[in-house]
Amino acid sequence: MNVIHTENIKKTYNPDTIPVEALKGVDLSIKQGEFTAIVGPSGSGKTTLLNIIGGLDRPTEGYIEVGQKDISKLSDNQLIDFRRENIGFVFQAYNLIPVLTAKENVEFVMLLQNRSEDERNARTIELLEAVGLGDKIDSRPSQLSGGQQQRVAVARALAPKPTFILADEPTANLDSKSTANLLDIMARLNKEENITFVFSTHDQRVIDRARRVITLEDGVISTDIQQHN
Amino acid sequence: MNTLFKIAWRNVWRSRLRTFVILGAIILGVWAVIFITSLSNGMVKSYINNAVQTEVSHIQIHHPDFLKDRAIEFSVGDADKVLASIQSTKGVKAVTKRTLTNAMLSSSKGARGVQVKAIDFNREKEVTNIATKVIEGEFFEEKGRNPILISRRIADKLKVKVRSKMVLTFTDLSGEVTAASFRVKGIFNTGIAPFDEANVIIRQEDLNRLLAPEAVLINQAPDQKFDVESLTHEFALLVNDTKLVDEIAGDIEFQFPHLKVQTFRQVSPELELYETSIGLTGMIVMTIFMLALIFGIINTMLMAVLERIKELGMLMAVGMNKRSVFSMVVIETLMLGLIGTPIGLFLGYLTVTYFGNAGIDLSSYGEGIEGFGMSTMLYPSLENSLYIQLAIGVFITAILGSLYPAWKAIRLKPVEAIRSL
Repeated sequence: MNVIHTENIKKTYNPDTIPVEALKGVDLSIKQGEFTAIVGPSGSGKTTLLNIIGGLDRPTEGYIEVGQKDISKLSDNQLIDFRRENIGFVFQAYNLIPVLTAKENVEFVMLLQNRSEDERNARTIELLEAVGLGDKIDSRPSQLSGGQQQRVAVARALAPKPTFILADEPTANLDSKSTANLLDIMARLNKEENITFVFSTHDQRVIDRARRVITLEDGVISTDIQQHN
Repeated sequence: MNTLFKIAWRNVWRSRLRTFVILGAIILGVWAVIFITSLSNGMVKSYINNAVQTEVSHIQIHHPDFLKDRAIEFSVGDADKVLASIQSTKGVKAVTKRTLTNAMLSSSKGARGVQVKAIDFNREKEVTNIATKVIEGEFFEEKGRNPILISRRIADKLKVKVRSKMVLTFTDLSGEVTAASFRVKGIFNTGIAPFDEANVIIRQEDLNRLLAPEAVLINQAPDQKFDVESLTHEFALLVNDTKLVDEIAGDIEFQFPHLKVQTFRQVSPELELYETSIGLTGMIVMTIFMLALIFGIINTMLMAVLERIKELGMLMAVGMNKRSVFSMVVIETLMLGLIGTPIGLFLGYLTVTYFGNAGIDLSSYGEGIEGFGMSTMLYPSLENSLYIQLAIGVFITAILGSLYPAWKAIRLKPVEAIRSL
């Protein structure tokens, strides 16, 4: 089953002044349980593609379906609701809420979903244990290392039981050990729980672990390779 | 909603210095508005009380023509009957009668024009506080011939002291200039410079005897003999409840339609003007404070929003809707107001209560203040309603001040906000 399906996605910035074509027609399908890296040089359009897949931006042209739902025509507010229920985000700079503890950060999205307290508590503990932070649930982000913060971010992304996880350069700020640790956790979640991951990355360590690598160049997909690792 | 409150509360304490600065501004502002308004109120009350207790009383009654040219012949006829009638009017606390005339007061060292207030001294003690203002010598008593009370200011200018002899020269009812010698019985200081410089006080019986030896009032029949005892130009009275002063004045006017009955506001219109202008000043001070506060809040909250662009972008990316983001910024601002305002109100209340009892001694500015007609001890006072008005005012200001930063927050596009530095 396709989790993400796009047809001829185009995105032009500044259409009225100096038009910049970031995407020139991208056709892409990602299936449930894939572990996919989107790579490419700066300016190739990978961030734009990720934003569109993640419902943070709209394409200028083309069709996009996430979890069998056409999201290209949704309003801002509908997109917010859609993201809350369907997409888990992991950002390069972790972007945790600094005034909340690890547990509260993970719980936060479930609160927005109006989940019951029992469910929130159980899932938060389960997720933090799954990313190896069972003993840090009451720590604030400032008390955690970069790698630990990014693991909290992964737990937070998983909390709402999204259709897939979108990770934008998740390892860019991490050292080798933290990167390896994070990738191990994501690979395990992917394998054991069949969770779909889509990364944008420059990091060869991430590319090496991905099972599918899509390369973007000048706004179009130049290669789409399945890897066996 | 609980989470919004929790995040907002923790955000308030995220930059402690900034929070303390804006809290300081709110606390100081609320306190200052309370203190300044209570000072103004205290001044108004002191000014009005002084004027009422020393000079004006609550209601004055005259012959209508007396007010136009203050000629001595415009006496209130049948003064004793009028007095008894006023005394029995409901709500009247005390009443006194006076004879008034202009005179030249001379000592061996100089002379000056004065207004002579000839009083019924036993009644006067119940209506005005003049007896308590005698600082040297004594107030009047039954015995003794032609005693006079003069102020400290006049005593200094004419270089006289208690028991000195002085001469009053005035016109009697027949139009003849007459003079009589008086002995200084006491020296008073009311604290109201204009009053002290213009007035001397003698007994009504003494002046009446000198004014009307054989005279006849113009509104009496020529063959009717003038009653010396009855010569009275002014009745002054106090009421039990100042809120009812207009009603009581109306009652008296109904009983004596031929007399002019005036409340203290009509006798001294400047009292009302002063009251109004102080009230207006208070409003202006409050408005300036609210405006300053609104800009302070906008500045603080805008900083709080702008330094969290990335975080706000993330919140919207993961599904926090715009209404919640907007509410979060407004709640944060309200929290600042809800912490600062009660502290400011409490400090203001303590200050007003303390100085309201202890008083503020303004005697180092005595000259100017007394010249204006206020006493040198100022007792700040404030009605409870102002505390409530102020609390509501800050609440509304906080909401208004938060709108722009909150609007700015929801205008952020998550995709740009997340990537911002």
